[in-house]
Amino acid sequence: MWKEVGDRETGKRRPYSFANRIRSDRIDSLNLSNYKEIVSVHRGAINTLQVFESVFRVFRVMSQASSSGSGSPELEGVFILATASGRKKLKDDIARIRDKYNIPESVYIHYLAKDSLANPFGETTVVYEQQLAADLRFPLDPLVEEVLRIVNLAHGQLHLTFCRFMSKVDLTEGRYLLSGASDGSAAIYDVQRATDHQEGGLIAKHKCIFVVDRQHEHGHKYAISSAIWYPVDTGLFITGSFDHCINVWDTNTTQVILNFKMPGKVYRTAMSSIATSHMLIAAGTEDVQVRLCDIASGAFTHTLSGHRDGVMTVEWSNSSEWVLVTGGCDGAIRFWDIRRAGCFLVLDQSHSQLGRRPPLLERSVTKVLASRSLPAGQSSFVKSRTPQRKTAFGNGAKQLPIYRVPSHTKGFMGQRLHPGMLSSGDRATAHYGAVTGLKVTGDGMYLLSAGSDSRLRLWDIESGCNTLVNFETVRLQTSKALQLAITQDSALVFVPCMTAVKAFDVWSGQTSLTFRGHYEYVNCCWFSSQDQELYTGGNDRQILVWSPSKSEADEVEEGSSKGKMSAMDQDNWSD
Amino acid sequence: MVIRNFCSVSPLSLEKATNSTAPEVDPRLLKSIKLVVRSSDSEVRLSVQTLMEKMKRDHSQVRYLALLIIDELFMRSKLFRSLFVVTLDQFLSLSVGFRRHLPLPAPPAVASVLRSKAIEFLEKWNVSFGIHYRQLRLGFDYLKNTLRFQFPNLQQNAARIQQERREREIRSKEILLKKFESLKENLSSIKDEIQLTIDEIRECLDILHINEDGSMAMGYAEEDVEEFRCSALQQIRLDSLREGEKVHENSDNKAVFDVLKELYKVLVMRHFISVREWISVLVRVEPTDTRFRDSTLKEFINIRNCLQSIKQSCEQSGCSLPNTKNHEEEDLWEEGKIEAFANGSDDALNKPSEDLASASFVNEEKSKAPDCSNKDSKGSETVVHEGDGSDSTTSLKRVLLADAPVMSWGSFLDNWGSNRAVLANQRGLELESHWGRVDYDASIPAEKIAELNVQAIMYKEEQVEIRPCLAPLSKGGLCQRRDLRVCPFHGPIITRDEEGNPVNQTPLIDEKTLDLGTVVAEKLAKQAVKNVRGRDKEEIKKKENDRQSLKRAKLAKVREHNVTVLREAAIASTSRSEIFVGDEEAAGGNRLSVREKKQTLASMLHKKVTSKDRLAERLLNTRTRDATIRQLTQGEDASYREAYPNQW
Repeated sequence: MWKEVGDRETGKRRPYSFANRIRSDRIDSLNLSNYKEIVSVHRGAINTLQVFESVFRVFRVMSQASSSGSGSPELEGVFILATASGRKKLKDDIARIRDKYNIPESVYIHYLAKDSLANPFGETTVVYEQQLAADLRFPLDPLVEEVLRIVNLAHGQLHLTFCRFMSKVDLTEGRYLLSGASDGSAAIYDVQRATDHQEGGLIAKHKCIFVVDRQHEHGHKYAISSAIWYPVDTGLFITGSFDHCINVWDTNTTQVILNFKMPGKVYRTAMSSIATSHMLIAAGTEDVQVRLCDIASGAFTHTLSGHRDGVMTVEWSNSSEWVLVTGGCDGAIRFWDIRRAGCFLVLDQSHSQLGRRPPLLERSVTKVLASRSLPAGQSSFVKSRTPQRKTAFGNGAKQLPIYRVPSHTKGFMGQRLHPGMLSSGDRATAHYGAVTGLKVTGDGMYLLSAGSDSRLRLWDIESGCNTLVNFETVRLQTSKALQLAITQDSALVFVPCMTAVKAFDVWSGQTSLTFRGHYEYVNCCWFSSQDQELYTGGNDRQILVWSPSKSEADEVEEGSSKGKMSAMDQDNWSD
Repeated sequence: MVIRNFCSVSPLSLEKATNSTAPEVDPRLLKSIKLVVRSSDSEVRLSVQTLMEKMKRDHSQVRYLALLIIDELFMRSKLFRSLFVVTLDQFLSLSVGFRRHLPLPAPPAVASVLRSKAIEFLEKWNVSFGIHYRQLRLGFDYLKNTLRFQFPNLQQNAARIQQERREREIRSKEILLKKFESLKENLSSIKDEIQLTIDEIRECLDILHINEDGSMAMGYAEEDVEEFRCSALQQIRLDSLREGEKVHENSDNKAVFDVLKELYKVLVMRHFISVREWISVLVRVEPTDTRFRDSTLKEFINIRNCLQSIKQSCEQSGCSLPNTKNHEEEDLWEEGKIEAFANGSDDALNKPSEDLASASFVNEEKSKAPDCSNKDSKGSETVVHEGDGSDSTTSLKRVLLADAPVMSWGSFLDNWGSNRAVLANQRGLELESHWGRVDYDASIPAEKIAELNVQAIMYKEEQVEIRPCLAPLSKGGLCQRRDLRVCPFHGPIITRDEEGNPVNQTPLIDEKTLDLGTVVAEKLAKQAVKNVRGRDKEEIKKKENDRQSLKRAKLAKVREHNVTVLREAAIASTSRSEIFVGDEEAAGGNRLSVREKKQTLASMLHKKVTSKDRLAERLLNTRTRDATIRQLTQGEDASYREAYPNQW
């Protein structure tokens, strides 16, 4: 590691690749954390986990006149990093933000779009807080460097070395873990601040902040199958349950503010994290139809029919806010453009291509980026919905591949069917048996699917082909929907494989890590890209935290501070 | 160099250590394993791997031994721990067998030991290293809270027991202190009371002894002369002397005796016990002022000694308590006086007072009880034993005992010789637990009781051995039918020889009754001929046997020769095999015995089911089934009652 730090200092290594290297090193050393312990309140299997990751982050840059460390730091400026949607939202209530983060009027707030940075995928990046505080000579994250570059521009003479503190102000990012369990309870945990420490600081217990369960007057009667955060802030969360209900909860009052009655057991709910123009919950249920529930109006806006059996899993595309992917018990994976009738793509496992299409990659990245930044930009200007829909339609149409109409339906049914129903006759399957899990990669170009045939498949969304990557799965759970997780650079995918969680290399399919700790089947996992931590929940009612093992320097420091405690865990050879 | 050497040793020694049927690992091997593993980190890694492989073996014994080694290393090496906990879930499923599709392998006895040991170890590990390893905490928590396994809970149990003991001690101390305080308050009254009794007893004794002084002195003088005799005889003599000396109860001093007896009773039953209790309280109590304690303790000891002497003199003058319980307690308390006291009680027994009848009756019963098992020897012994006590009574008794019948014990003995009527329906308890009328006068006459308590004797058949028929059968062998006179297939039963040919004995029996000389001669001749023929036959048989055994010996020799030749050839072919052959030879000598004795891992897998096991299993099954059914129905009942409280 220190060699790479040296490289970075001398400028041999680019900041982005350096940050990535650090990140992947940390991921490689993921281990069951002894320090962080989430005290699960659930009395049933954990079905779903999600850590809130916001669309914007606020930084406060402090500076000091000299590098000696004397004198209190001054507030230099506040930077808000936000996605396009987040920025739009922020502009509306700037006063609220000043109030919330305690920013005086004299300090100017800079806005940075996440996608304006040199980061190709517009991702949020990690700030190593304590390292920054300790020594700024330590090489920085590209994002932070960008911030500092702007600080330098704004203040002319401000030098990097005088900048002593740069702290995250936004405390909600990557902090609140939402979990739903089979006993009908959903709970929220603070994963960054422990509620109490034990054994002289050796163990930090994270107890839940609150729990809503059957005792709650509007709580779910049966198992919660899906619990997700409202993507913009932690004020709302959505739970779907086997009692045919989807509840929208207000986090602060822990009351149900909306309730959707579904025709059958709810298997999975999803909201688009990049959406700027709609607030739709996609719900996969026992019923063959996928329904979209609008939080704004409290009504169903869409009913998407095409599956022949219940829908186990739903997922929004990461590249277009209009595209929804659903996987059903009939083994089909269908793509829907919610602005048009019917589905436009049904994945077929026999329709395959080898490998990753390296030449196409570059082009598609730029294309995706372009198509994404355009509606975002528009949405900030255009308020009315109709013209936006028009432009979006044109935009989306470019993206969509040709509708592939299966030949056998063409003859006698073709004329009578509504154009949206054309693909309903397409019986292509992506898996033998049910599709139990779906995950779109961070760039929205690839789709990973897990099936009850114990297979994991990687699909190229652009061409709709199976890439034939052979994942070394042994067995997957068949009866429940699985929640997969993927790292931000799409290098690793975390898959619950019976009692263990395995991390596969996305492009080669090889197992790179195996996480054994649960005593019964694992149902869900969530990878927090900010802290490089993995959260897993299983039938044994435990939520486990897998965090990077501490570097040796940290351990030495810790050892000196708690010499007595660490002395207990030593070699003890009496003979 | 050394390390590389060890590298190859570790898995081998582990293999060796886990491949035995012993209930624990060979301590020397274990020590060497520890030594090797300690030598380097790579060894630790290797041992973790090898031990996990051993845990996967399909044999509980191997797993058990591996578990023991794992525990040893786990408690010692940090690296071992950190490597081992990663696969803890696997380890637990292999050692505890909590997964339904992965039960523990074959020898079920070892498997249960393995499970309990694994649970015990997990608890120990969790207590000592749980805070450092989340996996340990998880495993422990899962087994305890989800699967509800019973952990031995050693630590808590020990703490609880300690706590309980402490509390008990504190409580008893408080009680002692309270007693001590009360003693402080009424010490003088206690002492006065005792003193009063002692004085009264003394007075009584004085009254009794006034006119006997002269003879006493004489007795003691005589005693001095005969010192040279052996002590036992002397004792006997002394006893009889004292017996003579005794002041016997008569109409003159009856009143005094009555008072004395009363006082003696008070002394023994009350004062003795209370003094003893107070002394024990004083010994155990830890008061603030020890001076008072010491002084009172001294006083009490004095009082006790005084009481003791008084008591003895009482007993000498013929007081005793009818119940023997007190005597026993006395013995426990004063060890130094056992002998003298025992003599005293003997005296009491043999004394011709009204006690005698009951005492002898007790003795009689005692001697009868063992009689039912072995007949006369014991009885006579007890008679002799009684005889050495005193002569006049026992000689009569001996005569009586000699022709008294020996009875087996039974309930009829309860009312032996009593001719009292028994009260009936005194309490009003009638049949089937219902209270009825009380009839105080109702009684069962003694004759009726005697009728009801007639001695019952089980009829015992005389065992007669019925001879088998032993006639030769067509399919070979002899007829094994046992009939009294006539076998339905082979006619009357007669004595036969080994092959089933009839030996004509019936005439021999008849011979005595008939007594006919000619017949006898004929028979004898026949018999002689037969005997000679039989002898010939035997000789032929013997010869044949000899020939066969010779042949066999020859064959064996040839075989042995072949084996040696082959072995030599083998030895010549390889130099290494020599050692092997040597081993084989050594083993070959007692191969049979080895096969019988040595238990292998494979042999442990064979289940030995005796008929007893099978029976036990069946019994247990039905019993548990009944129990569960009962429990379930009870539960149903209870829930029903709860649900409908006013309907049952």
